[in-house]
Amino acid sequence: MREERSGGGRGRDKDKKDGKGGDAPRRGFFRRRRVCKFCAEKIDYINYQDVRLLAPFLPERGKIQPRRISGTCALHQRKLQVAIKRARQLALIPYVTE
Amino acid sequence: MSTARQYELVYIVTPEASEQEVADLHTQIEQIIQRYNGTLDKTENWGRKRMAYDIGRHREGTYVVETITGSGELMKEIGRRLRVMDAVIRQLIVRVDEELQVAQRTTDARKAFVARRRTARGLPPERQPGEGRGDGDNQDDMDLSEGQR
Repeated sequence: MREERSGGGRGRDKDKKDGKGGDAPRRGFFRRRRVCKFCAEKIDYINYQDVRLLAPFLPERGKIQPRRISGTCALHQRKLQVAIKRARQLALIPYVTE
Repeated sequence: MSTARQYELVYIVTPEASEQEVADLHTQIEQIIQRYNGTLDKTENWGRKRMAYDIGRHREGTYVVETITGSGELMKEIGRRLRVMDAVIRQLIVRVDEELQVAQRTTDARKAFVARRRTARGLPPERQPGEGRGDGDNQDDMDLSEGQR
């Protein structure tokens, strides 16, 4: 979906390496994901019991990934944060990993 | 007076507990629910699971999830009882009805929005199978570039 859009639609996406993000390239080769995962996939309720849903937002160390990295929108980041904290209490995901 | 609210109760039982003990615990909770005129909507036993970190000296535990509709006093009582029991190593009670309502409202609002846009474009309100480009079903809304083309 995103790729198609950058091909035809908007001019400002044209000279980017791929169609993925509209932002200036970040340090290194990492490209920021522009779209909030929950908005794109239309997930309205972030269930704390669903570890596989939460896992992509927890880097190795176990900290919650900031919005500026993951691209999650403010509304969903807030809900995600609550879900992660609940899952931590239930030992579904770790507080810290050494 | 007490209004009915929906809660989710998750508790972790020690791995040493037998199936029977887990079942007993469940019936105990059922009894408390009955006494407080609540209803047990759903039970889910996840079975023995490896925990992400050690609780006490345990590495694994049996997870049980119960969805309960009832009053706050009921949940307070259940929480108090579980806290006393040695077999229960962790518990979490969350009120879910409001959260689920909010989620449902957003889903409905989005559906209405999509339907409105589609009828405005002279399409049937629901997405037809095999319609549109390529993958997913997520191209109807928010795709502003389409109009500019």
